[in-house]
Amino acid sequence: MTPKSYTDVSDQQVVVFAQEGREDAYRELIKRYERPVFSLIFRMVRDKETSEDLAQETFIKVLNNIDRYRPEFKFSSWLFKIANNITIDHLRRRQLDTISIEGAPDAITAERARATAVTVTSGGESPLEELESRELGAAIEKAIAKLRPEYRACIILRHVEDYSYDEIAEIVKLPLGTVKTYIHRARQELREYLEGVR
Amino acid sequence: MIEHDFDEEFVPIAAELQRLPYLSPSRDFADRVIAGIDRLQPARGVAPVLASRHLELHQGGQQAVIPRRRMGVMRATGRATAGVALIAAAAFMFFEVDVLTAILAAATTQYAFAIAAVGAQVGSMVLGPETIAYLQAGAVQAVLLYMTLAVGLFGGYGAIRTAAHIAKRKAA
Repeated sequence: MTPKSYTDVSDQQVVVFAQEGREDAYRELIKRYERPVFSLIFRMVRDKETSEDLAQETFIKVLNNIDRYRPEFKFSSWLFKIANNITIDHLRRRQLDTISIEGAPDAITAERARATAVTVTSGGESPLEELESRELGAAIEKAIAKLRPEYRACIILRHVEDYSYDEIAEIVKLPLGTVKTYIHRARQELREYLEGVR
Repeated sequence: MIEHDFDEEFVPIAAELQRLPYLSPSRDFADRVIAGIDRLQPARGVAPVLASRHLELHQGGQQAVIPRRRMGVMRATGRATAGVALIAAAAFMFFEVDVLTAILAAATTQYAFAIAAVGAQVGSMVLGPETIAYLQAGAVQAVLLYMTLAVGLFGGYGAIRTAAHIAKRKAA
């Protein structure tokens, strides 16, 4: 059986079609997760080009090993796990800790800053709401960027992606207690950074 | 929605975190990923290495021989020369060995590769690179070449040593 549309098909089923070599199944998996994976990576490295490269590397690695996928786990958890590993490896190599919401940390010209900045899609709010939302959103983005990379991944997976502590521990390959500590500290730091904004 | 496991102060931040928009990669992102998936690519031909080597031997052996890196040979020769000089100096200073014997002994025992490399270069100049390439590519021819080089090496060493002895005796 081959579906005309994958709208109501679960990740596990789409993976089965991909394992059969169907290109549309691969494209469906990319379509479902390109934005969450890219967003997670971008919020960790703060550079559009690098985030695209790392997201691309993540998908290629996962989809080339699709036969090794174990259906007892969530496909998204596996994908985020690979994305996190690749991103942490990159950060360790590059030691990118300082960030700018307007563009890449190494953006030394306005053109380079424009090229590396990310366009955030509007949620259809009124201009004032959108402005307020963007201000607060930008403040939160900046606050997240000040966190240690390990904290960033945990707090995003917890509060943006709604993963449980156990799932996060599995994704970031850390003990459950460490994950809880990271999230607790990340919350504390975010509260401090956003003290004057709220 | 995740259950609250944080204090009230963090509630507005948590709400704002959940409202953070997803960011989009470039439009051609999916195409680039698809291009990297092996299973979806048409089969790529793999060069039959062993067969091509044999075939190329008939074509003059030129391509079957991996080109040598000139810098590598130069560096190896330089290092070998420096090493030979050090060993020869040590042998001359601490043991009662004449300089020529020390140099030749060190060179033949420790730096055979460098000597072979220099021999190949000299051979290439004398016989021409095509002949050398052909000889290096063919098994029988290569054995002959290496035997010639070895005989030349040992013969040359013997001749120089004999000449040195004669010169020594005359000087005495």
